[in-house]
Amino acid sequence: MKKHIKGFALTAAAVFGLAACGGSSTTETTEAAGGEYDNLKVAVVYIGVPGDAGYTYQHDQGIAALEAELGITVTRLENIPEGAESTATFDQLAAEGYNLIFGTSFGYMDPMLEVSGKYTDKCFLHATGYKTSPNLGTYFGAAEEARYLSGIAAGAASPTGKLGYVAAFPIPEVVRGLNAFTLGARSVNPEATVQVQWTSTWFDPAKEKEAAQALLQAGADVLGMHQDSTATGEAAMEAGAKWVGYNSDTIAGGFPDTWLTAPIWDWGPYYISAAKQFAAGTCPAGDSGQYYGNMADGTVKLGTFGSSVSAETQALIAERAAAIIDGSFAPFTGPINDNAGNEVIADGEVAPLGDLLGMQYLVEGVIGEIPSS
Amino acid sequence: MNIGNLRIELEPRLTSPKWLYVVVPVGSLLCAFIVGGVFLALTGHAPIGTFALLIDRGFTSTRGITNTLGTATPLICTGLAAAFAFRMNLFNIGEEGQMYLGMIGSAWAGIALAGHLPGFAAVPVVLMTGALTGALWVLVPAVLRAKMGTSEIVSTLLLNYVALNLVNYFIFGSRGFFRDPSTSFPQGRLIEESARLTSFGSTRTYPTVIIAVGLAVGLYWYMKRSNYGYETSVLADSPNTARYAGMNATKLTLSVLLFSGALAGLAGAMYVVGPAGKVDPGLLQVGLGYAGIVVAALARYNFMAVVLTAVLFAGLREGGASLQISTNPVPISIAVVLQGAVLLFALGGEVFRRNRLRVRRVQQTVSV
Repeated sequence: MKKHIKGFALTAAAVFGLAACGGSSTTETTEAAGGEYDNLKVAVVYIGVPGDAGYTYQHDQGIAALEAELGITVTRLENIPEGAESTATFDQLAAEGYNLIFGTSFGYMDPMLEVSGKYTDKCFLHATGYKTSPNLGTYFGAAEEARYLSGIAAGAASPTGKLGYVAAFPIPEVVRGLNAFTLGARSVNPEATVQVQWTSTWFDPAKEKEAAQALLQAGADVLGMHQDSTATGEAAMEAGAKWVGYNSDTIAGGFPDTWLTAPIWDWGPYYISAAKQFAAGTCPAGDSGQYYGNMADGTVKLGTFGSSVSAETQALIAERAAAIIDGSFAPFTGPINDNAGNEVIADGEVAPLGDLLGMQYLVEGVIGEIPSS
Repeated sequence: MNIGNLRIELEPRLTSPKWLYVVVPVGSLLCAFIVGGVFLALTGHAPIGTFALLIDRGFTSTRGITNTLGTATPLICTGLAAAFAFRMNLFNIGEEGQMYLGMIGSAWAGIALAGHLPGFAAVPVVLMTGALTGALWVLVPAVLRAKMGTSEIVSTLLLNYVALNLVNYFIFGSRGFFRDPSTSFPQGRLIEESARLTSFGSTRTYPTVIIAVGLAVGLYWYMKRSNYGYETSVLADSPNTARYAGMNATKLTLSVLLFSGALAGLAGAMYVVGPAGKVDPGLLQVGLGYAGIVVAALARYNFMAVVLTAVLFAGLREGGASLQISTNPVPISIAVVLQGAVLLFALGGEVFRRNRLRVRRVQQTVSV
């Protein structure tokens, strides 16, 4: 139901689209041209509230960075449900003269596409979607890189090698993260397994906590998760198990002994860059406006370490992180088998981004299944 | 309640004078605006300006009222569904789930049937299928209630969660019929173009609003005039009388619940032929089914009044959410408080319409 599904880009050229699209022919000249920020009227639409200490919180931090950098005020709309009902919200924003409109949840995709066609002089940017138009762009990033690193911390912290993972929906983004986490864990603990529990929710603390408790009862001693709430961490703490967060590390201090680390987002640089481009006269939209950030450009990061991550493990993670950033290592490098034993990435091959963005298999070591086509 | 030597009592009115029907709602709204205004002032927002914006964005501007009517269209149907059952003392809490099933059923028809139908028949068939699946979803609770007296409150409520998971399963948990086969992203498959309605001009109001209002008028008239309307109201007031008069209580109970489910299913179908065009899990976040119960209660289960309360509710939602778009934005939580205040006072005002307030001087008894 809720939110982001993510990712996707049609071509490799789109990967670093933000940097590349300045001179693109698909971009639009807009009323904001002139180089000053007075003409910018920016709004962002959230599925939840920044108080989630997770997904929306990190976007809000990025928006705050944008406000500080450009000296502008951004209008924030919270708790806007997805689907056709959200069309009214985007329509209202455009009608009120907002010319740069961000939407952070997957289910805003069709409404934003519809409204962007109606207000062709406004710039619409949509996180986690895949549809574009001359004035609709997308943005997301390679969380799987930091997921892999967090998996190393998880694998190293597990005496039994039995890990658990509380996951939202079996969609490519979540599957990719789960697989990267598993590959990271097995890189230091080859026998490790990751049991997955699907919750069918992005933010439902009670349900997510139950899922985490089920995994702990099944013997998992370290948990990872792909949710917007921190309920997994609460269940882990009560059971004395370690856990890996997601989205944000702002709550790390609340889990003194059990926090390991978390893949986190830093949206500030993208928001600033997109707004500056738009102020300079181009909306980073269209086919070339499909921004996919990563660790190298700082959109994706690994959060702070907890006290139970050893210096040795931290050093190993730092080494792998450096290799990911300089491009000498990619988490999805073969040989990789799926959990039914079929080879999915051949020895020495690196999975292309297009494959990653549509990922529909679970790697060896994951205990669980996803719907097949 | 005693204050000093004054006793304040509520005394039921036998008849309510006509002027009360005007004064009470207006007074309720005024009270809500005063309470909401205090809230706004305390949080640093100008009350009058904020209310003016709320009314403009929700009701009086062209964009506002057409957005509101768009949201109100399915809400009228869930409101009618709740009113139809509740006034017979049958508490169908399952409008939410029946609406989801209406979405699923109508999407099925829109994908599988619409292509084989002549153009003019596509939309009616899709809407009818949605109504039918909505009714089917309440069949088991209805039979249990009619035959064995099992509480329909619990059974219909629980089925909401089943329906919710069913939608999630079709879109996120499986890759079957309802899912868009052209992408690995979880999206609903679009229904045939012939089964879609276009909105009026560039607004968000769809022609289905005419059907919704027509249903309200039709039900109002039919339930007042027909034998069926009479029998169900006798059954509601006194099941024994109904039985003694030879009415078939089982049949009546079944039919009321099934028709209520059909109305809720129709709400989901209207969402499909209108703005969504597919099984859209976004509907799960809006809560139009549960809101229908509130709308029906506000309308005192009067079908015509459901139209008004649904528009009021939808406008408060639209206007409230868009209060965040302003130079001094009102947080969504305060907008929800404002909506709550209006609804609460509107319900509370009923007490004063049905009862007379009496203030009497009483002899103080001095206790030692």
